[in-house]
Amino acid sequence: MTSAGLAMHAVPENQRTESAACAGLSASFFPGSPILSVRDLSKSFGAVNALKHLNADFYSGEIQAICGENGAGKSTLVKILAGVDRPDTGTTCFDGKVCTLSSSKEAQRLGIAMVAQELSVCPDLSVLDNIWLGSMDVPFLPRRKDLRRRAAEALSLLGAEHIALNATVGQLTIGERQLVEIARMLTRNARVFILDEPTATLSDNEIDRIFVALARIKRQGRSVIYITHRLAEVFRICDSVTVLRNGEMVGVSRTADIDRKKLIEMMLGRPFIEMYPEHGYTEGEPILRIDGLCVPGAVRDFSAVVPRGDIVCIAGQVGSGAESVVRTVAGLVYNATGSVRVNGNPMRLGSAEEACQHNIHFVSGDRAEEGIFSSLSVTDNLVATRLRALSRFGFLNPKSLQAEALRLAGWAGVDQRRLRARADDLSGGNQQKLAFGRCLGGTQAGVLVLIEPTRGIDIGARAEIYQLMRGLCAEGYGLLVASTDLEEVIGLADAIITMYRSRQVGSYRGKAINMQDIMADITHPLK
Amino acid sequence: MNSIGGQASEQPASVVSRLWSIRLDKASLIQGIAAVAVVIFAVSTPGFLSATSIRSLLTTVSFVGCVAVGMTFITLSGNIMSFSIGASMSATTIVFMVSVVLGLVPALILAFLFCAALNGIQGWLIGVFRANPLIISMAAYSMIIGSAIYITGGRGVYPLTNKANILTANIGPLPGPLAAFLFVAIVGQLILSFTRFGRNIYLVGANPRAAKASGLEPWRTVLWAYVAAGLCTAVSAVLVAARYRSGDMEHGIGYEYHAISAVLVGGTAIQGGAGSVIRTLVGTVFIALMQGLLILRGFGIEMQYLLIGLIVLAAVMLQWKGRT
Repeated sequence: MTSAGLAMHAVPENQRTESAACAGLSASFFPGSPILSVRDLSKSFGAVNALKHLNADFYSGEIQAICGENGAGKSTLVKILAGVDRPDTGTTCFDGKVCTLSSSKEAQRLGIAMVAQELSVCPDLSVLDNIWLGSMDVPFLPRRKDLRRRAAEALSLLGAEHIALNATVGQLTIGERQLVEIARMLTRNARVFILDEPTATLSDNEIDRIFVALARIKRQGRSVIYITHRLAEVFRICDSVTVLRNGEMVGVSRTADIDRKKLIEMMLGRPFIEMYPEHGYTEGEPILRIDGLCVPGAVRDFSAVVPRGDIVCIAGQVGSGAESVVRTVAGLVYNATGSVRVNGNPMRLGSAEEACQHNIHFVSGDRAEEGIFSSLSVTDNLVATRLRALSRFGFLNPKSLQAEALRLAGWAGVDQRRLRARADDLSGGNQQKLAFGRCLGGTQAGVLVLIEPTRGIDIGARAEIYQLMRGLCAEGYGLLVASTDLEEVIGLADAIITMYRSRQVGSYRGKAINMQDIMADITHPLK
Repeated sequence: MNSIGGQASEQPASVVSRLWSIRLDKASLIQGIAAVAVVIFAVSTPGFLSATSIRSLLTTVSFVGCVAVGMTFITLSGNIMSFSIGASMSATTIVFMVSVVLGLVPALILAFLFCAALNGIQGWLIGVFRANPLIISMAAYSMIIGSAIYITGGRGVYPLTNKANILTANIGPLPGPLAAFLFVAIVGQLILSFTRFGRNIYLVGANPRAAKASGLEPWRTVLWAYVAAGLCTAVSAVLVAARYRSGDMEHGIGYEYHAISAVLVGGTAIQGGAGSVIRTLVGTVFIALMQGLLILRGFGIEMQYLLIGLIVLAAVMLQWKGRT
């Protein structure tokens, strides 16, 4: 245990299927038997294997982190633990007994509670009502006094006595709402608390408060499962860390026995597959220049230059402000200040129309919400931004629309025989190509700004989209990409700007790009 | 007709399929069956296939038809329907009849401007403030009725001139209103299919956020969609006013309901972004045929209401099925 070699408890291949019993997998590290354990857990969504024969144990009186990249299977695992999703195969044991977590109600009955990424409080109800909302303990004619007392107890246990029971939840800060949710779990006598990235949208003070609360919960002998992208938090409050990658368990370790560097290596261990095209490193003249960009509550003083023919990535976790920068450049943020210049010409912020006239086009990561017109045809989607150029006095020429759609489809790699299909009949990857196709075709190369360009897209289509992006660079486009997917950022970018909680941390170019520094920047900036 | 929209074939889209623009699915099959059924029903009903009967049917249908074309613009742009369109039609009959003493042309211009403005204001409120279109139109309905009764004292307007009578004349073999309806429908469809404005309506209706992200200003499109609806409604208003030789707040009662029924029965998507004026035209004629047939077969008004209700219900349920 003392040697570095033993610190990593990698799971050998042959143990994965053998250990069907509920014995503690990592008994050498942890005292006692686990309160919750899973064996041989598999889950697939369609063709995607989200979890592959996973074994894991969770212990009382511990805060255990689950780390891994996007798509590693963290969320799938906790959804299964919380009874939201059902596994394809595998067993779960709670308190030494085999159990089936068939529904979230069942999980709650056992004592497993989850605070989801999106808060589930009712903003118009009081704190008290929110705490007891949906509880099966509340009798038909509740005794308010008793309920108040128990709710107050739960809040004080969390060190949150300052939250008034009568206050409307909508008036609380996000951090306080999170505390209310945790208090709700306490009143249900939950023994296992699952928190899915609870700090993604919180300020430092609020995070401190949540940590104090979690430490108290732990001292009570309850178990906390903590999912986070912020590695600093892992070392600050967690006792052990479980690393997932591609749906498989890579290893489990005490946080005391591991360092940041080692953890990052575990998370990213896989070699880069040949998914990313050759870099250009052309460094043309700047096509986009951002100076002193501020968005209230999201971005503080951001500056960047995007040269022609380059892909500049803004790396940061959810809530870091990277998305806001891109949305601002796309003209979709109304209250931004600062200067954005395209080819040296200043652009008025807050108007998507103006951005388009400056030849800035936006590809959203949220395809259904703002990426494509799902009820319209492929043709209609492709030519959506080209209507002005293809019309005369407001009249369109169907033939030239058709020709343009054909051309753009060829460009973006959309099947030209499917121009008349509805956009939502296409696969996610093809839909994303549609969103790209819509942005191309101007007479001169412009700027493409993107958020999470490959969110929810499988590996094959991903590679095609990266090729497409590189192809645009060759045409003289400049690309600005916001992404939380580190591997993508490293593989794709000619230059990287890192962001952490609204602030720009560092910037890297060409050979200076390295995983360790960037991971360090976006999780734990050097002060 | 329904199968023309066809499966995703490799030929470029023909104009006809663009107008109908649906796939061969269960919903269009049922629409086809309904069309065949109504034809059989019509042929087997004695007295229906006479020229006078059909002509009178098509004349009465034309008034609702023009309003329904206008409503199509509102529905396609993603704003469901307007409750105030009947009231603005009534108000326009009054404006037209009051101003007709100035001459027919000034009165027509005034009527069209008035109705376009009345609806345009609503479109502006809905587009700019992203207000709920149903609530805005309900408020507008109340305000229009209230102001009109305040100004006219609740009485109709009967001008002492017959300058508007020319609007009741036949155009060739067609009754005037029918010709106007066909004209409005054709122009409306041409605008939707072949102008940038028309295309923008589909884009904004299908996904306003994506439209904004691709550099459109959705509020502008919504505003002009309402103006277009107002203009179509004004056509109906002047025709009705000329026919009854009066302007009255009662002329437009119920038109919003008949119009949205026609739009839905035609198969335009209630959530916007899919449909056409041609569909609305088919919906209008279908409902009118059913009504006419029921009258000829001796059913009362209660059966008409019941049947139209059922047809609208079926149309909406079909859309629901079509989506999932």
